[in-house]
Amino acid sequence: MEVQANTKKLTLIGQKFHALGMFLLRRNAGQEVALFVRAIASIFSKNRSFKADAKNIIMQTFFTGVEIFPILFIVATLFGTVVIIEVISLMGKVGFSDVVGGLMVVVIIRELGPILTAFLIAGRSGSSLTTYIGGMVINSEVDALATMGVDPIRYLVMPGLIGGSIATFIMTIIFSSSAICAGFLMTKIAIFITGNAFNVQLTWSYLSTEILKAMTFTDFIFIVVKPLVFGCIITTNACYQAMNIPRDIRQVPKATGKSVIKSFFYIVCADVFISLFYFIDYFNEISKII
Amino acid sequence: MYNEALRIEDLHLSYRGLVGTSFSKPRSLGFFESGLQPGEQELISNANLVVQKGETLCIGGASGQGKSALLRVIAGLARPTAGRIFIFGEYIPPERLTALNIAQRQVGLVFQNGALISNLRVRDNVALPLRYHKMGSPAEIEEKVNMAMDLMRVRDYANQFPHTLSVGMQKRVAIARSWAMGPQLLLMDEPTAGLDNYNRRNLLPLIDNMRTLFKTTIIIVTHDLMMAKELGCKITFLSHKQLTEPQYFDDWLNGDTIITRDLFRDLRNSG
Repeated sequence: MEVQANTKKLTLIGQKFHALGMFLLRRNAGQEVALFVRAIASIFSKNRSFKADAKNIIMQTFFTGVEIFPILFIVATLFGTVVIIEVISLMGKVGFSDVVGGLMVVVIIRELGPILTAFLIAGRSGSSLTTYIGGMVINSEVDALATMGVDPIRYLVMPGLIGGSIATFIMTIIFSSSAICAGFLMTKIAIFITGNAFNVQLTWSYLSTEILKAMTFTDFIFIVVKPLVFGCIITTNACYQAMNIPRDIRQVPKATGKSVIKSFFYIVCADVFISLFYFIDYFNEISKII
Repeated sequence: MYNEALRIEDLHLSYRGLVGTSFSKPRSLGFFESGLQPGEQELISNANLVVQKGETLCIGGASGQGKSALLRVIAGLARPTAGRIFIFGEYIPPERLTALNIAQRQVGLVFQNGALISNLRVRDNVALPLRYHKMGSPAEIEEKVNMAMDLMRVRDYANQFPHTLSVGMQKRVAIARSWAMGPQLLLMDEPTAGLDNYNRRNLLPLIDNMRTLFKTTIIIVTHDLMMAKELGCKITFLSHKQLTEPQYFDDWLNGDTIITRDLFRDLRNSG
């Protein structure tokens, strides 16, 4: 009520901004953005301790990375094999061998590598984070933290957010590298076993040169930016869903499912948004030709 | 006003307010929703309470009357529909009535289930708030933690995780954790529930020491009315959504009110 009274002191523009802000904050997506901002801001709170924070963040990075690594490596290897065989055999048949590198960059490094890694992390580590914090909410542990003056956002969300984002970045690099390197090896084995039934001419120098030739400056930027954005989305969403669980144990699996599905949705939306930046590359190329 | 540790005026609490707002939601949300909505039921209505500094007060009453909910309101975990709360003479406006703000005023809460952090060992649980608030050097914190664990006799279990301890043991660790922070106002939710007679007997002098040595104001929600007698403190009952005037155990026992007739029947019969 007091806040309502204070808003009357604002100018008309101020009131409109306030109304817009409150409108956004009442939406789940708005609250998730606010949670992200609060988690980042909490890094600079007066209770900061570099040693303790670094330890928590490293633990979270390790936790996210280690638990996802085995399945990520297998998926990356199989995915890389399929992509390499399909691209090289198909492009060779239609006479577009010179675009092999470009296709590999688009498929593995630019698009499906980061997205598949993000999906795997959302499904495995994001859901674990929701269950972990959700369990703490049910057991009143989060309330206990707050009554001790320990900010739950700083203690639980911030390390998850930073650690999760760093782990997503590292895992994306590992995924793309594994998909290309292990995929190359698997393809060589497949060629050897089948007696080159695919009619594929593949050497490491050819593959690596083609990929490096096709990579642009924008690719190098988004190799870093995309996984970090996806990591922030996954961890913020996982923590938000967990902290909103009412005191009912049946809500934990529901929140976990919601966390994963919403993360998938947000990741795809963010990917579409980021992909728009590739238009800049496209227009640069066009302008060079003109 | 200055000598008062807690003053509650015309407090109303609905079931919606009891759930409170999630920590993940911005604090600015929810103020517009204050006030009783049409068709909404109240858990506590028009409750008033004054607790002096250094006093110990027990809150009794039948199950489901809202005793724990009242503690949650004082601790900032539940949002009252209406009413005014003063802590150590300072009015806490509704938008400041959050657990983090209340904790800054040296108010501690011991939960009914202990609420220990499950992935931390007993020692780290007790040390967590001290380390977070940097309440001394590592050696000083270690000393304080050891003292708290010795007082509650849980030092032998210092390296165990909470899930390996019994409920009573977890509660003792939770009390040690609150004690280590040195709160000026300590809220305890059923501290003796789940404790055997031996540990219950050991807990009472500890509560008494906190009151006499550290001048801690203690509010205890309990069904254990004998505890109030042994501590020599006043008891107030939460009944029919309201708090009664606090009285000593013997006054309640000798009086004849509808509220206490059932609650004291067994005690009267046992003499």
